[in-house]
Amino acid sequence: MAEKPAAAAFFDTDLATIDTILALGVLHGLQGKNDCRVAVVTLSRPNLAAAAFADAVERYYRGPAGNFAQVPPIGLVTEGQAGETSPAFVEPFQKRKPDGTTVYRKQVKSVIDTADPNTLIRNYLDAQYPQNAFFVLAGPATNLAAALDFPGVAQKIREKVRYLVVAGGVFGSGAAEPHIRADIPAARKLFAEWPTPIYAAGAEIGTAIEFPGASIDREFAAVTPDNPIADAYRAYRTMPYDAPSSAMAASLYAARPKEGYFKLSGPGTIAVHDDGRTSFSASESGRHQHLIYDPQQKGRIVQAYVELASAKPVIRRFRPVDADAQADKPDTPVKK
Amino acid sequence: MNPRGPAFVTGAALPRRSILRGIGAAIGLPFLDAMAPAFAASSVPGKPPVRMAFFYVPNGVIMDSWNTDYTGPLQSLPRALKALEPYKQDILQIGNLTHNTGRALLDGSGDHGRCCGSYLTGVQVKKSVVEIKSSVSFDQIVAKEAGKQTRFPSLELGMDDARQAGECDTGYSCAYTNNLAWRSETQPLPPILNPRALFERMFGTGRAMTAEQRAQQMKDRRSILDFVSEGTRQLESGLGPSDRRKLDEYLSSIREVERQLEVAEKDNSQIDPHMDKPYGVPADFSEHFKLMSSMIAIAFQADLTRVVTFLITREGSQRPYREIGIADGHHPLTHHRNHAELMEKVRKINEYHVQQFAGFVEKMKSSREGDRSLLDNCMIVYGAGLSDGNAHLHEDLPTIIVGRGGNTIKSGRRIVARRETPMCNLFLSMMERMGVHMERFGDSTGRFQGLDLA
Repeated sequence: MAEKPAAAAFFDTDLATIDTILALGVLHGLQGKNDCRVAVVTLSRPNLAAAAFADAVERYYRGPAGNFAQVPPIGLVTEGQAGETSPAFVEPFQKRKPDGTTVYRKQVKSVIDTADPNTLIRNYLDAQYPQNAFFVLAGPATNLAAALDFPGVAQKIREKVRYLVVAGGVFGSGAAEPHIRADIPAARKLFAEWPTPIYAAGAEIGTAIEFPGASIDREFAAVTPDNPIADAYRAYRTMPYDAPSSAMAASLYAARPKEGYFKLSGPGTIAVHDDGRTSFSASESGRHQHLIYDPQQKGRIVQAYVELASAKPVIRRFRPVDADAQADKPDTPVKK
Repeated sequence: MNPRGPAFVTGAALPRRSILRGIGAAIGLPFLDAMAPAFAASSVPGKPPVRMAFFYVPNGVIMDSWNTDYTGPLQSLPRALKALEPYKQDILQIGNLTHNTGRALLDGSGDHGRCCGSYLTGVQVKKSVVEIKSSVSFDQIVAKEAGKQTRFPSLELGMDDARQAGECDTGYSCAYTNNLAWRSETQPLPPILNPRALFERMFGTGRAMTAEQRAQQMKDRRSILDFVSEGTRQLESGLGPSDRRKLDEYLSSIREVERQLEVAEKDNSQIDPHMDKPYGVPADFSEHFKLMSSMIAIAFQADLTRVVTFLITREGSQRPYREIGIADGHHPLTHHRNHAELMEKVRKINEYHVQQFAGFVEKMKSSREGDRSLLDNCMIVYGAGLSDGNAHLHEDLPTIIVGRGGNTIKSGRRIVARRETPMCNLFLSMMERMGVHMERFGDSTGRFQGLDLA
């Protein structure tokens, strides 16, 4: 049997914070290091501008479409509140090259340029080896809870997905975390029914490890003047500012669970309360764990965020596993 | 008097299933005004039946010549479809339909075998040369119901290759590249390639003619119509002028097919005997297509069947098209690596295929059925299991539906679904129009939205 490729990353998000945008860059940086393959990005709010921006990021990292390297569509939910359209989604498209042309092409212009998230998740799960994928949730649980009810998907998750890492909740004292609060029924369903282990990176992780905004005009700019994530960062809020990082933490842990970036709680169960607060109850049979901040790792983690998110795209051609056969060589006919 | 019974079988009113019989001949009739009461008494009161056909072209198409850059009412058709310009009000072009089961998933290369195998079955076929496994195709699910009322539940036609064994794409059996229709997981329905065989199947009695009878028929150059002339006269005597004209046109179309067959057989006997074409199969692609598609039109006209699949050429076909100046094989050309010259040749092949298809559409459009054209009562899908043949893409599959499905399809426009929309969603919606109701088929996620008149 052919060797399995790196695990496939399924990233579901609302792209409502700069942390979630940076997390997408972190995942692609991890892909560049062959620690994962970004399979699909699905959005949990019907915001076309956010989908267009996510698509531009995907195209930036994946490079031009080619044989066996198509850019998958962005999954976009069509119901619910569109929410705020951040300047981070708009201003990068206004950036121009010296010749007057735009730096990033806006290719998502209507909902037909996107895909139904459930169908997209199902189709791309079909292409994964058993236990060779993970999900990162960096937004409300709306899409993933719906996916569990989509015909065949729960079974595919059971077969193919090692775990889900949720950037959400608060483990310790604190108010309800926005991702959980945005769709409490979906969060409850997700924690109750997700068929494989769940790891949670609570808000306390994100606030303890801030992403250094100064790196945008330093490390990012040193790699390329045109990184859509850096341009989004500049547009998101008046510079300079640092950003919390629970979505980045979730992504980093998902692709590198053995690197020791975070400590882990013992097994238990995460409950979602009526007001959106979360609590964790330890139990031997529980399938949930949450990440615990380790101050000694902070420097490593921040360095990883910056290095990964600012990394130059590594264009990878994930060809089918035995694609060296002659039918796919451009100049070789199918056997007759 | 024919010893096997009357030459023309009918009841008090003219039944829809009336047949002209003669020695070795059984010719179904088109819908005549005199049958209107019979139609009214059918299972779908007052409505002629809906028929469907799939015309499949291999190796994808050059999509920039296929797709328009707009949605809504069809304006000037794109280059690949230009030959259909006169019929654009009868066309619904659909964008973004996807066959995920045609993709590699975990099976590696072999997109040609897979895309054809999954096209009407909606499943990922088993990658094997000997252990064939697919699923019952959508056309056969329909045929099982619709076929209860017709002489043939379905007809499977092709023009290229009907080998069922051996490897035709990397690790995939020829059964996958050479068939569209599947009766069961393991049983494909091989297409009829030979027009003479199709003709005899459609108009024969099912009993083989003796060698002497066949030899005599050939020697006499007698038309099959000669064997039913007595019944024809009887029938005509009871028809009004409009029906007589319709019957005459219909029988003339059969005679025309016969004449083309004779020409093809004559030509065939004079060409290189080593040519890879069985006796009776025209060497000329266009003639072959014309014969096969004419018989599809007749089969629909006479309601001999309501379900047809037509594998125009097989996936991975290496056929050159010298008749339009292209000596290179079709499949190698489609791996053009974006060379303009090679892409142009593929565009010409795409256009050529559609030109042949346009001839069929013209026949269907000019044939009347009640107060509509025969085409109005059909759903003729012309399409492919790959979009970009160079990159082996299984999304945005080139798909048009010609005909209005019994006035249930709003045509004359281009609609585009969301990306990744399963092709099987369209099949579910087509099934409904054929009177078959299923909640799921293949990898469908629901019925296709947007076909309707509303």
